[in-house]
Amino acid sequence: MALVEVNNLVKRYTSAGPNAVDAVSFEIHAGEVFSLLGPNGAGKTTTISMISTLLTPTAGNVVVDGHDVQREPMAVREVIGVAPQDLALYHDLSAEENLRFWGEMRGLGGAELKREIAEKLALMDLSDRAKARVKTFSGGMKRRLNLAVGLLGNPRLVMLDEPTVAIDPQSRRYILDYVKRMNADGATVLYTTHYMEEAQELSHRIGIMDQGRLIALGTLEELTRQVGEHETLVLKLHQEGGGAALAEALTGCEDVFEASASNGEVTLNVDSAQAALPLALAKAGDLGLSIRTVDIREPNLETVFLHLTGRALRD
Amino acid sequence: MKKLWVLALKEVRLAFRDVGMLVTMLATPLLLTLAIGAAFGGSGGGNLSDVPVLLLNRDQGTLSQALVEVFDSEGVKGLIALEQVSDESAARARVDQDEVAVLVIIPADFGARVFPEGAQVQQTVGLDLTAMDEADYQALTNEQKLEIGRAFALSQGQVAPDAVSIELYASPDWRISTAIVKSVITQGIEIMNIRLQGMMAIMTRLVTAHILSGANPEPVPSAVPFAAMPSENPQASALPVRLTVTVPGGRSFSWLDYSSASLAIIFLMFAVTSGGRTLLAEREWGTLPRLLITPTAPLAVLVGKMAGIVLTGLLQVTVLWGATSLLGAYWGNPLLVPLALLVLVICATGVGALVSSWAQTAGQAGAIGTAVTLVGSAISGSFFPRMNLPVWVQQLSLITPQAWGIEIFSELQSGGGLVDLLPLLGGALLLTAVYYILALVGFRRQFR
Repeated sequence: MALVEVNNLVKRYTSAGPNAVDAVSFEIHAGEVFSLLGPNGAGKTTTISMISTLLTPTAGNVVVDGHDVQREPMAVREVIGVAPQDLALYHDLSAEENLRFWGEMRGLGGAELKREIAEKLALMDLSDRAKARVKTFSGGMKRRLNLAVGLLGNPRLVMLDEPTVAIDPQSRRYILDYVKRMNADGATVLYTTHYMEEAQELSHRIGIMDQGRLIALGTLEELTRQVGEHETLVLKLHQEGGGAALAEALTGCEDVFEASASNGEVTLNVDSAQAALPLALAKAGDLGLSIRTVDIREPNLETVFLHLTGRALRD
Repeated sequence: MKKLWVLALKEVRLAFRDVGMLVTMLATPLLLTLAIGAAFGGSGGGNLSDVPVLLLNRDQGTLSQALVEVFDSEGVKGLIALEQVSDESAARARVDQDEVAVLVIIPADFGARVFPEGAQVQQTVGLDLTAMDEADYQALTNEQKLEIGRAFALSQGQVAPDAVSIELYASPDWRISTAIVKSVITQGIEIMNIRLQGMMAIMTRLVTAHILSGANPEPVPSAVPFAAMPSENPQASALPVRLTVTVPGGRSFSWLDYSSASLAIIFLMFAVTSGGRTLLAEREWGTLPRLLITPTAPLAVLVGKMAGIVLTGLLQVTVLWGATSLLGAYWGNPLLVPLALLVLVICATGVGALVSSWAQTAGQAGAIGTAVTLVGSAISGSFFPRMNLPVWVQQLSLITPQAWGIEIFSELQSGGGLVDLLPLLGGALLLTAVYYILALVGFRRQFR
């Protein structure tokens, strides 16, 4: 059963400008973790903002738990919890005061709120810093608190917008584990990220976005099947500026389906890495380039994105 | 309703945890009030010219004329524009209408009351001692001098008359000017006193000569100057003149009172424009979008924030009222001051909302808020007495909460009651409504 239905959603910020979100449609089923994967500027945050009633769609509609976001925004807000990409906390209030304030704004109170605050602080390993002002927290602690605020009241749909940006590996691990645990407890999660590994690890289904459009949708297996049995060959060059020339030289060569360059790396989508490697080395030699490392990868979301857009996900 | 309270309390908590805000809201106005109170000692000050003053001189004697001439002296020229009048009720009406600062009334028996001995001499000998200079005196014969001494001696045993009052009927809106006029008259009385004391010394010698005449006549004094005031004798230096300042219904001007209220309003403006700025800051912090996706109506979020800013402002001005009162400042009837403060805080918060609703960023709102506060304070008379500003500036400044604040507290400080206050509060509330309507238009445009 679909908890969220997104139908031909369009958002254009200025009448003359491009569509930030362009005819996007998908469903999120109750109990699943659905990830929107895409590079920065792909339209993920704009999509979440429309689902969460913050932005009004230019066209299309969104229904959350049977409520249209434009006609019944308050009903939608009752069932959602959002952890925004940018930290949205009061830095002069303590962790506990922040949780209390946001809990009260969600309509919680009394013993229930007290219990919620204690539970969320414990879950995010912040109990011992409950009384400390947020401005004294590390980036990872702030991220965890930001997430905890979004989870107050145990909303049916939790939307996490790039929750692991700019944090230490330990806090990142903490958040990913918590998302899995929360989902196991029955929460439906809409997760946006530009880290392919996170989407792969967490998601039941993944939507890949690029330039405002949803370019692929499915489970990890369904998506990787789109690129067949192709492999990814990543060549790291000694000469940072030489990647583009090598990618161009390899484009169109036999067995090379896609070639892209970024930050001194050339990523090739190939039929067989073993067969393509001598060719790549030869072309590099012709161009006077030397290769520092070679990495061969199984088909993954990176491959899928490269296959669909001709660009690496990190571009 | 509970959410409004939660939002408002959060605003207050954030404001009072910000050291910078505390300095702006409380420390700076208190220190400035202390400094101004110390500098002006509670009264007077300002650069004034051509203060319109009416004079009703019922005495027309030489002594009162000397007092009138003080207004025309070199030191006072240009400061006071004196107009002599004869119709008391018309003159009082002109003061009541704030057309002039003060009406000075010299009573009919002023000369006789101030210098009864001179009046006796004039009555019996026909000489006006107060009109004589040293040359006139030297020209008298010894017989004339002895005759004067005899008449003078006659008055010495009489019961001293009560002090005579010069009334200053002053407009409450011209309190600094009143203080200046009072000071000029006091100076005139001092000059008169010096002159009279000189005369008294001579006359006392004449009396002695009169008593001893015929038996062993003492040489009649001739070289004691008229201005030889026995200044070391405090009893002799006092003239029986009392200055009565009548301000219809209230207290006279005090810089401490004036600056306490006007500075509190300026810094209230700083606080509330800064509070309004937080609405934009919250957008930049990401907390406003987060608030807008809680199950709370957007208007409730706006009203809750504004309520918090009003509450913060109220706490600020209440603390300032209490602290400056401890320093000796008087804000007015303590039952009416809270009402006035509430209206002014709501009005000032309207400016904060208006600025924030049309500014693009928190930084822009902060800069505009500061400019609006400073310019508004200057044209409303927060830095110098409002009554000395040109009338058109006073009228123009009524678009600012500062001007209404000064009008309201001037009324309260001069003893105004609720009835006097209501039109001013109404004016401030009308202005508040305009601010909030414009702010709502701005917010709708900004957050649609």
